Amino acid sequence: MRLRNVLRIARWEVTKNAGGIDRRTLAVAVAAIALLGLIAPLAASGGGPSLDDGLYHVGVDDDSQYYDVVRDDDTFVVRRADRAALGDSVDLLIEGDDITAANTQKGEAARQEFRSSVQSYNNRKLRQEVNATAAFPVSVLLEYREQSGVDSGLVDQPDGADGDGGAGDGTGDGDGGTGGDGDGGDGDGGTDGGDGGTGGDGDGTGGGTDGGDGSDGDGRDDTGNGSGDDTGDGSGTVDPGDSGDLGGITGPLSGEGISGSPADISPPFPFQSLVLAFVFVIPMNFLIQAYGSTILSERINRRGELLLVSPVSRYDIIAGKTLPYFAGAMVVETAIAAGVFYLLQGQVGGLVSVFAVAPLVLLFLGATFLGAMFARSFKELTFVTVTITVSLTSYAFVPAIFTDVDEIALISPLTLVVRELQGEAISLGSIVFSTTPPLLVALVCFGLGAGLYREEDMFAQRSVPGRVIDALAGPITRRWHVGVMTAVLVPFVFVVQLLAIAALFALGEIAIVLLLVVVAITEEFAKSLHVYAAYEHRRFERSVRGALVLGFASGLGFFLAEKIALLAQLVGLEQLAAGEAGLSGGVAPESGPILLLFLLAPLALHAVTASISAVGASRGKGQYLIAVAIAMGVHLAYNLGVVLTYVQ
Amino acid sequence: MIEARELRKEYGDFVAVEGSTFSVDDGEVFGIVGPNGAGKTTTLKMLAGLLDPTEGSATVAGFDAGETEMRRHLGFLPEESPLYEEMTAITYLQFFADLYDVAPADAERRIHETLSELELDHRDRQIGDMSKGMKRKVAIARSLINDPDVLIYDEPASGLDPLTTNYIIEFTARLAEEGKTIVFSAHNLFHVESICDRVAIMRDGAIVARGDLDTLQAEHGETTYHVYTTVEVPDSVRENGRYQTVVGSMDAVEETRTAAQDAGGSVVDIRTEESSLEEVFLNVAESGTERPSASAAAESGPESPGD
Repeated sequence: MRLRNVLRIARWEVTKNAGGIDRRTLAVAVAAIALLGLIAPLAASGGGPSLDDGLYHVGVDDDSQYYDVVRDDDTFVVRRADRAALGDSVDLLIEGDDITAANTQKGEAARQEFRSSVQSYNNRKLRQEVNATAAFPVSVLLEYREQSGVDSGLVDQPDGADGDGGAGDGTGDGDGGTGGDGDGGDGDGGTDGGDGGTGGDGDGTGGGTDGGDGSDGDGRDDTGNGSGDDTGDGSGTVDPGDSGDLGGITGPLSGEGISGSPADISPPFPFQSLVLAFVFVIPMNFLIQAYGSTILSERINRRGELLLVSPVSRYDIIAGKTLPYFAGAMVVETAIAAGVFYLLQGQVGGLVSVFAVAPLVLLFLGATFLGAMFARSFKELTFVTVTITVSLTSYAFVPAIFTDVDEIALISPLTLVVRELQGEAISLGSIVFSTTPPLLVALVCFGLGAGLYREEDMFAQRSVPGRVIDALAGPITRRWHVGVMTAVLVPFVFVVQLLAIAALFALGEIAIVLLLVVVAITEEFAKSLHVYAAYEHRRFERSVRGALVLGFASGLGFFLAEKIALLAQLVGLEQLAAGEAGLSGGVAPESGPILLLFLLAPLALHAVTASISAVGASRGKGQYLIAVAIAMGVHLAYNLGVVLTYVQ
Repeated sequence: MIEARELRKEYGDFVAVEGSTFSVDDGEVFGIVGPNGAGKTTTLKMLAGLLDPTEGSATVAGFDAGETEMRRHLGFLPEESPLYEEMTAITYLQFFADLYDVAPADAERRIHETLSELELDHRDRQIGDMSKGMKRKVAIARSLINDPDVLIYDEPASGLDPLTTNYIIEFTARLAEEGKTIVFSAHNLFHVESICDRVAIMRDGAIVARGDLDTLQAEHGETTYHVYTTVEVPDSVRENGRYQTVVGSMDAVEETRTAAQDAGGSVVDIRTEESSLEEVFLNVAESGTERPSASAAAESGPESPGD
């Protein structure tokens, strides 16, 4: 591949496409992208106009203690509190301490909104107090535990939080309002944890346990809990708009803990993470439509034939055609990262985000390239791109939801993005773990597609499954190529299994069984589909002996490549029961012949199951499907055995 | 300039080209004819390096077919005109000039000269808005953008109106006069006959006859004799006051002469008519069994350049 040729083709790709778009359409597209870039960071940061601005009219005098509350809430329109003059034109009338709502549904809604506004206002005021302990006398550290009893660990908090805060007794205005003592840990990683809410007046209750003496370190020993029925107008309120509904993400973003009443404490649902992750994925879904079209249009009516006969390689052509889309995507993603980072953190940054998103962009492009090489028409391409959009968005987006919950989120590069935007430290291991699988899969997609980027495959009218077979069989001309191809397909397996872990891990123990089923299916297909393809393309003579050789080669290739799962250990993913089952097959014994058996058993498994499938593949489609099903059964039984033996 | 040795191309069970061996001399125009599905296009694409032969090999301009350097010496015109229709003729040709490392100034000059020779107006019009003939001219101009030594033209006048067809055939003939080596396939045998020095006839993936037109006519054509007599003889037809008898050999001519004399008449004219390439082609194509010519048999083995 020559860079000069790549750049030439890239330049002309831009020129060609620019020639196909009239200026008005181009202007609209640029404006739309600019608008998206503008809106996305604002949406992510919670800014922007709100639909309920000016919804309620409130009569309140400027000397009322509630005046500032009403004025600061855009939902309200301030009117003078003149009952006679206003009549029924206001939804809420505040005269001294007397608050009267209009006798309508809207009036009642205005009263509810006003109550929330008061709470928010109070919370903001309390946050401004220099003495935080006085403002929030109860400190509660939350620890979320799984029902199964498996310790999932704490939500990460940033380093540097002051460890000596938060001790105190919570007292409610009414009966029974107590709060537990809780000393934060000192030193690195010490956190105040979540500030417990103060008990409200009425029937608020608070319970706390002094779980330790505030040992140095991560403060995980200090636990507490609090609850309260915040029905009154007590001082311990939470501003829902600021923190309460953002779960555990706001603390890290603002560098503060969550404060409010115990009733407002909720599990860490990272709303903001979701928005952020989605913002980064959106442009890629548009991008692949254009990219897929340009690749397919080379194949429609044989337009790409003349490039193939010009003095450039097919790799030059593919790289040249891809480069503008990759570069364009990276510009957009960089703008989004920089914009969001600046809005959230008030400084220039986002480099890790850009680095993390790059393999994801390549993955989208690689999958689309391969899909466009498979599709026979734009109708089929639509089906292919929708499939890619759904599956890859799920892959990128779903794990990022769990950014603040579990390390499993790191299977998506978007998690790195979210973490950087939250100001968290990101280890090199995390970056490698998150970015390597999508990068490898992207390269495999480009490689398989490039195998079809030649005269006799590009323009042939084959069904999508037929093209998959063509792509897999293309590089195989010798027996050992089967093992190499198996190894090449392992990143696919890895990504699918990681995605399965992310999708299933919340299900508890049943997730392990389901995951083992996914493992058996994906690995057996990865070891055998190209063997079947090679037989269909008459690469090898159909004999049992030959099939056994191919099966062993495939099993060996898989065994060796599977060691990429070691990457998982860099981020401790194997501490998850599901990750352990899915990625390593069990816990290694420490010594002796058992260790040797432990190392060789997977090789034997892969060789045996791959051989079963290969023998089936050598006898045609029907026999292959039966054989691969048997292989999956053997694989599943083996994995269940390993899990039952070692994990328990 | 071009050497093809035992080219074979398989698509699964289907053998598209089998044992195709031939050579084309420097400056020669070599035609390939045959019915649809005979393997002409597959052969040309193997020469252009677009298809990898299942067996055999080919060299073009001294390079293996498909080598990057070979492509610099080749101008390829496929049967269809797969152009980038959103580009203008000028930008399209500039694009390919760029790919072929043609210096911008040379490219500019060559583009305008070629388009002028091809009488292509509306050069700044998007290709998608051009007529089929205009698109074909753009495609031909593209094949010449690198000033290649070898041209491989697959049905260059396919689907065009007679005027454009004649123009393109004449243009191709002018290229041959300039010394380009041309391999040319066409369904219209008159075009092949008019510009090709040698012809290969393909059927079912194999070359079944080849040589210059005289050789092909001698081996696969028929000479017919039109004997005109003053009196009616067996199998004669009346024509302009005379009787015409068409026979296939000199012996038959003598028999006709004797018959006329026996009837009290005489032979007044004898005209000889050779088979056209079309008739040769039909003879070869319709023959039930393969009938390789002597020259084809000679070329199936190692041959010396210029054969």
